Amino acid sequence: MHMQNELLSVPAAGATLTIAAGALAFITRRAKKVINADKLALMGILGAFVFAAQMVNFRLPAMPGTSGHLIGSVLLAVVLGPTLGAIVITSVIIIQCLIFQDGGLLALGCNIINMGLIPCYVGYYIFKTVKGQSWQSVRTYIAVITACIVSLEIGASLVPVQAALSGVLLVPMSTFLITMLGVHAIVGIIEGVVTAGVLGYLLRIRPDIVSDKLEGKYVLSKRAVIASLLIVTVITSMGFSLLASGMPDGLEWSYAERPDQSEFEPIIANKNSTIAQVDTFHERYSIMPDYTKRSSELGKTLSDETEAAASWTSLAGMAGAFITMAFVWVLAQIIRKRSASKPNPDITAA
Amino acid sequence: MHHSHIDKFAYQDSPAHRLDARIKFLAMVLFTALVISLPPHSIVIISLYAIGPFSILVIGKIPLRFVFKHIIAISPFIIVLALSCPFYDRAVISVSFGPLSWQITQGWLRCFNILAKFSVTMMCIIGLVSTTRFTDLLAGLGKLGMPRIIIAQLGLLYRYIFVVIDKAQHMLVSRKARSLHYLGFRNEIKTASAMIGSLFIRSINTAENISISMQGRGFEQKWRSLSQNHIGKSEYFFIAITFIYVLVLEIFAKQLFV
Repeated sequence: MHMQNELLSVPAAGATLTIAAGALAFITRRAKKVINADKLALMGILGAFVFAAQMVNFRLPAMPGTSGHLIGSVLLAVVLGPTLGAIVITSVIIIQCLIFQDGGLLALGCNIINMGLIPCYVGYYIFKTVKGQSWQSVRTYIAVITACIVSLEIGASLVPVQAALSGVLLVPMSTFLITMLGVHAIVGIIEGVVTAGVLGYLLRIRPDIVSDKLEGKYVLSKRAVIASLLIVTVITSMGFSLLASGMPDGLEWSYAERPDQSEFEPIIANKNSTIAQVDTFHERYSIMPDYTKRSSELGKTLSDETEAAASWTSLAGMAGAFITMAFVWVLAQIIRKRSASKPNPDITAA
Repeated sequence: MHHSHIDKFAYQDSPAHRLDARIKFLAMVLFTALVISLPPHSIVIISLYAIGPFSILVIGKIPLRFVFKHIIAISPFIIVLALSCPFYDRAVISVSFGPLSWQITQGWLRCFNILAKFSVTMMCIIGLVSTTRFTDLLAGLGKLGMPRIIIAQLGLLYRYIFVVIDKAQHMLVSRKARSLHYLGFRNEIKTASAMIGSLFIRSINTAENISISMQGRGFEQKWRSLSQNHIGKSEYFFIAITFIYVLVLEIFAKQLFV
């Protein structure tokens, strides 16, 4: 789970260290307003708690001789809030790197992002979204398990990406990615189950800790969340779209084209004239066919595709992301206006 | 107990222990970056790079068996990565070593390269941590610009990690003493969750007591440390030697051996 130095090149390590340091500086500046002496003691002790909790292992059902253990970042985010949780997990990762040498020094930035920032923030917001109003229902546990699985998968999928961006990988990235995603799906499920168990135990014994009234809990402002989501979208859409392959996807491969088998005949042949007309119309007026620049003018049929620059793919990716977000926002406004017109019988004073 | 080896060598005394923490830390980061950026097919030059951390370990009187046992304990993930190289890079080249010469694939060269780099960087960081007291290291990092909240957090974590790990180990021993055989996955998870939850509640109670004590003694956010970071003659000497060593390696040895 912890990346070592050898998986990265120096520029990639420098870049991720800068990103992690920048995020931490931002978080600590925000958190300084709410951290006073007692919260500081709480955060320090919970850091030590994470170490101790990682020592409590349990045997796994299908694999004799192996045991799993809790990672703890989502638990901390749920109880402390993502900001303080991120600071605590970062300190744990730094100590694991320095003292236990679990994770290389140059890979510290990557480890902090993959195992600290992403599970805390993404996990917390998924938890908040899925969880219902009350803490005592089954939905809370479903929310915790979902949050663990998704955030750990995202964190795990970043490892092959970071290694590929360093140019160190000999293994094809898709193999590495699938292996990481597969292993961490199991890890995520187990983490989710144990975190849900711990949360259930805490709800029974000390519900005052768990509900949103814990002294140390502090959540980022909405503006900061939106700003960070925007930054992530821009980086992802521009950067990762470049890694997209030009080969046909699975569905196309099965019936339409197979570049590796030259004698392949397409399996289907649709002779309906309406469909042909729609296809031609679509071809003439689509703005960015196949995610690159149009090779002929709008209104004419497409000529043979010439290789457009990679910058057009990035533009397509980013434009697509922003258009989707605008669409979602408009939809949300419409839905909200509709439900605002029906009075809510359930409003009680908090 | 597991935690006793965390920094059992850091409290000894030797010329390496007396060096300023900031200088050691910066030297280690620089050295790690240089080793990582070596080309993927060079093995001989890494043994030259190993001289630096090796001498720090020897001067610091750190037993080498401890170092190698530690390196082997952390290596599984990197061994998997290294062993994947011979499968994917099958270009055959011939290597010679003194009077011997034979054919080998590039993949194996990369494999040994990765393992060698890993060992050297691990020796670096073990050298740093075993010759520096953690509180001195934190004070040095604070002077280098780490945010004060994180320094305070790391300091408190270090202070209480032994306490909390002790509690966890008591619980683990009790569990082992009370479980005669495997009772099923559901019971395992229930027991583990209860142990972790109970540790959590105890940690929070301890934290409440500690914060009252800290405030009772006048703690006001600023994390003060007794370590005095002092750059004197031995630090300048260390900087000079490191500089010359790195220069020789980068310029001359790379021409000869890479």
